[in-house]
Amino acid sequence: MYRYDAYDKAMLTDRSNEFRHQVARRLAGEITEDQFKPLRLMNGLYLQLHAYMLRIAIPYGTLSTRQLRRLAWVAKTYDKGYGHFTTRTNLQLHWIKLRDAPDIMDALAEVDLHGIQTSGNVIRNVTADPYAGATADEVDDPRVWAEVIRQWSTVHPEFSYLPRKFKIAVTASAKDRTAARSYDIGLQLRRGRDGVLGFEVMVGGGQGRTPYLAKTIREHLPVGRLLSYLEAIIRVYNRKSRRDNIHKQRIKILVNTLGAEEFARQVDAEWAKIDGTQVDLPDVELAHIRAAFQRAAFETLPPTSKAFEAAKAADPGFARFARHNVHPHKAPGYAIVNISLKAPGQTPGDASSEQMEAIADLADRYAQGEVRVNYTQNLVLAHVKLDDVPAVYEGLKAQGLATANIDLVSDIIACPGLDYCSLANARAIPVAQAIAQRFADPERAEAIGELKVKISGCINACGHHHLGNIGILGVDKKGEEFYQISLGGSGDNDASLAEILGPAVHFSRTPEAIEALVDAYLKHRSEGERFLDTYRRIGAQPFKEAVYAEAD
Amino acid sequence: MKVLTANSLTTGEVVFWDRGRWALDFAQGERFESDELAAAALAAAEAQATVVVAAYLIDVEETGGHWVPVAYRERLRALGPSNHPQHGKQADGDADVAALTAAAFAARSTGRVKLIKR
Repeated sequence: MYRYDAYDKAMLTDRSNEFRHQVARRLAGEITEDQFKPLRLMNGLYLQLHAYMLRIAIPYGTLSTRQLRRLAWVAKTYDKGYGHFTTRTNLQLHWIKLRDAPDIMDALAEVDLHGIQTSGNVIRNVTADPYAGATADEVDDPRVWAEVIRQWSTVHPEFSYLPRKFKIAVTASAKDRTAARSYDIGLQLRRGRDGVLGFEVMVGGGQGRTPYLAKTIREHLPVGRLLSYLEAIIRVYNRKSRRDNIHKQRIKILVNTLGAEEFARQVDAEWAKIDGTQVDLPDVELAHIRAAFQRAAFETLPPTSKAFEAAKAADPGFARFARHNVHPHKAPGYAIVNISLKAPGQTPGDASSEQMEAIADLADRYAQGEVRVNYTQNLVLAHVKLDDVPAVYEGLKAQGLATANIDLVSDIIACPGLDYCSLANARAIPVAQAIAQRFADPERAEAIGELKVKISGCINACGHHHLGNIGILGVDKKGEEFYQISLGGSGDNDASLAEILGPAVHFSRTPEAIEALVDAYLKHRSEGERFLDTYRRIGAQPFKEAVYAEAD
Repeated sequence: MKVLTANSLTTGEVVFWDRGRWALDFAQGERFESDELAAAALAAAEAQATVVVAAYLIDVEETGGHWVPVAYRERLRALGPSNHPQHGKQADGDADVAALTAAAFAARSTGRVKLIKR
């Protein structure tokens, strides 16, 4: 994986020193809170309900075990011994003290971590396929391009004060595991008929108050022109976006106001003015970055493993884990192992310091010292020998991390919600916990099959409720928590936005409403159908009938 | 009736105005009957720029002999996150915490499943 070079390290050290100075001036009263707030936000430090919250960037969701151990140490030393992995593949610490923040930044910088551009109206941490470099269906390692974008966008002077935040996802597989169409820019890497690599460029996706799926404005951008084309897009956005209305400042509003065709025309006009040689990455730099992601060749192994098959036959729990959490790897004899952070009753996305350390130990021993963060708030060990999967399973099980529920009804995405977040209107975590408890029986969850439940505590949609097969949005009605249920969303290749089912349901009744929806699906489903398929075939009416009473 | 709350600048912890000092427990917070006194306290708090951040007044009401914030959000701030009962002020587990918890989770309506007309 990429390791910071002297430029990266110098930048980070400078930033860390600058931040320490800024905090000292704030504590001494030399600058006001109004002056300080944007400075701390530029380093990912928010003030939330109970304390400061630090959002630490995990570029394209890839962590070395050294970094994961440092995160565990910071959580244990300066927080309450746990961290929360988010839908943007970052880590949030919820109980940070301002007086400790400079020391934390130093500790993070030592392992190339920071909170830069995890807040503010800038290009945020880039998302990439969590199976990058391991899945057979990719045409290139998307992290190479995510790293190119990271270097280009970090403290980019022209794009440090955009109209609003800006998020980019890169995927290189036929199957989208990033929800690319929900991004400001989604980049899908493909080979053209001539074998040349290019990006399908999708622009203007986003959730929140006005959800849109991104529209394709270029089918095949030559990879060598990526940065100049991104510059053209963001320059048009920077110039044309509505800065006067906070609800209209995202690029999705501009793209949908102009229309994708007109937006693409303006981007092309801007692109024609840019001298690509000044912006596009030289081949030698690209080769340098690409080399950082090259790893030792995989061992030559038989495609099946006796140890793996024997463990499946002997232990039904392991067999279930193998069915749901283990994904084929491109190299024979290897597997991709997903670690669910969704044990029923647990807070989705939370990991304790002990769990992080245990995962780092397993990754060092069995997974080439690397851990990935999936936007689904789960973790991934990308390169595990099939022979070693049983040992990984046992190691995870000892830490309560072997829940075999990836993409099942209890694998719920939930934002921190009103339990932590100062923007939230309602809690998300207890709703997720209550639903997961109802479906805690693994056989039942398996019989229900793929069902993606996503919960947000406010309209900003950090919990991706627009993309949930079942999406749940918390709303405040006269001081009480109600939940608006939507159906039919998807963040995958068949991306769609969920549609509201009916009036919001009270907190206490939401889990049973979800159970009623699941029962309706089981009643109506045809052979082989997922929840989403059944909903798309029969529509909302049978689900409405399941949740709401007949009119008299 | 109002209470003045803020977050400590150095720690971020939720604090409540107590006759010129800052208390960690909601129950110790001074209750203002008059809007003028509340506004004066708020002005005093805002002048303490190196002590607290984001000071504001909240509405409180009496239920079952205990004073609690009206807004659900403020009850959570006075308690801590509901997913970690051992974190935040609720970890004390004293009578005021019990009252806050009861108030925070006592829904006024019984829910709407099967109650809404299509």
